[in-house]
Amino acid sequence: MAFGRWLRANAEHYLMIAAQDRVARTYGANRPRPPHGVREIFWLRIFAPVYGLIPWSVRRAVIHLMPGSHRRSWPAPPKPSGPAV
Amino acid sequence: MTEEVCRVPKTVIVGGGAAGLGAAGGVKAADPGNEVVVYTQFEDVAYSPCGIPYVHAKEIPTFEALFLAEKEAYVRAGIDIHYERTVEKIDLRDKTVQVAGEGKVAWDRLVVATGFDYADPGVPGGDLDGLYYVKNIRRAMEWDKVLDTAKAAVVVHATPLGLEMVTALAHRGIETHLIDPHPWPLAEMADPDIMAPVEESWRELGVHLHFNTTLEAFVGEGRIRAVRTSGGELSADLAVVATHKEANNALAAAAGLKVGSAGGLVVDEHMRTSAPDVYAAGDCVEIPHGVTGVGLQGLTGSHAYAQGKTAGVNAGGGTRSYRPVYVPWGTPAGKWIIGGASFGETTAKALGIPYVLGTAQGISRARYYPGVKPVKVKLLAEPGSLRLIGAQMVGGEGIKERADFLATAIKFGLTLGDLAVMENVYSPAIGALVEPIAAAAQNGLDNAKKA
Repeated sequence: MAFGRWLRANAEHYLMIAAQDRVARTYGANRPRPPHGVREIFWLRIFAPVYGLIPWSVRRAVIHLMPGSHRRSWPAPPKPSGPAV
Repeated sequence: MTEEVCRVPKTVIVGGGAAGLGAAGGVKAADPGNEVVVYTQFEDVAYSPCGIPYVHAKEIPTFEALFLAEKEAYVRAGIDIHYERTVEKIDLRDKTVQVAGEGKVAWDRLVVATGFDYADPGVPGGDLDGLYYVKNIRRAMEWDKVLDTAKAAVVVHATPLGLEMVTALAHRGIETHLIDPHPWPLAEMADPDIMAPVEESWRELGVHLHFNTTLEAFVGEGRIRAVRTSGGELSADLAVVATHKEANNALAAAAGLKVGSAGGLVVDEHMRTSAPDVYAAGDCVEIPHGVTGVGLQGLTGSHAYAQGKTAGVNAGGGTRSYRPVYVPWGTPAGKWIIGGASFGETTAKALGIPYVLGTAQGISRARYYPGVKPVKVKLLAEPGSLRLIGAQMVGGEGIKERADFLATAIKFGLTLGDLAVMENVYSPAIGALVEPIAAAAQNGLDNAKKA
């Protein structure tokens, strides 16, 4: 697996678990199980909180540096202009 | 003097699913004189695999009802489909594909529409009989007979297909267990408050729910007899493996086509891949999300068909653009229908996207009209501009239409202010006086003022 894909797969997985925990606490829902092992502790106790400190604009710029279709040409969102008739 | 022969350009399509057949139609739409050949490894095309769980649930009487067209219809349309033919290799330099039983086949343009594979569960016992991967209609017909005698089943993972199969098996009277490593169903896309009524309705149906539970092994001798999990062993006559869908890209990647960080082939708005004259569409590609810009792989059948159409029109010499996606989604789950557009709170928090939240609990019809159902709407908006960026819903009816509308509202940049004063249909049998979307938007405006 290419590094970019590996990084995205792991970051996405553990950021989602961290987010599930926060949302579950808000709604009094079932929370994810606590992390087990060095790998889970790293991603959930170190990576996720550090990621959370980075402003969204910076995170977005980093995401855009990852390889993928988003780096090819795509049309901008449509903008309505003037009355239809 | 050289005699010039006017040759019709030939498009080869690898894959006969929604994207592949959409592409075939697109090639012909661009120019009816175009030559188009589709290779599929399966016995059939042009059926709705998404309908399979509903036949299992006996809500649709026969599998035959899922077929959209007969094979002759494609012959009449000039689309040459080669069934049960596996494409073994793509050669970008020679512009050929190697087809088992046919040898090298030349193309002028190629469309890769190889779809998805279920993620390998990666546990012992994966080769046992009794593991059902819902995909092919012929296998589904065989499995339907197995379901007639099955007493207990385990559904592995609460993905969209997993949700449908849980409900189908429970309706069928089979003792149904759902295991998932997350704390609630569909937890990678839906919020817990949206899924809570679904969980409750499954329990009413007798479904056994095992969340925060990891699959460890399929157990049996030749055939499955149990599923071992982190929470213990569950007896089972069969297991439905509904792990997430991964892009089926081995063939394309081996040929040298670029793969993105989501695992899908890299394409542009014309569905062009990284190689000249090669297009791709459907579950094997990744498409940017309209709000975040993040590439997404594994969308819906309607996305696949539209992408295929775009790829086909362009391969056939026309011009058509696809656009970033805002992902309206919805599905029945238990006795409810859930849905949304773009993303919900959990995904926003995972990505670290700030949002203002507006929620409302409304009703689907006039409160006095028989059949009225609750409708919960959650809207997420960008702080400051209050432009809509996401939505999730649970209710009894009208969820699909609201999801479609909200996806378009996000695409066109509508704000909570716009939605709070939206006009809505009021007719007691089909719509309430106050539209829940408008009420949620007003709640969001109030929350924004407090913030």
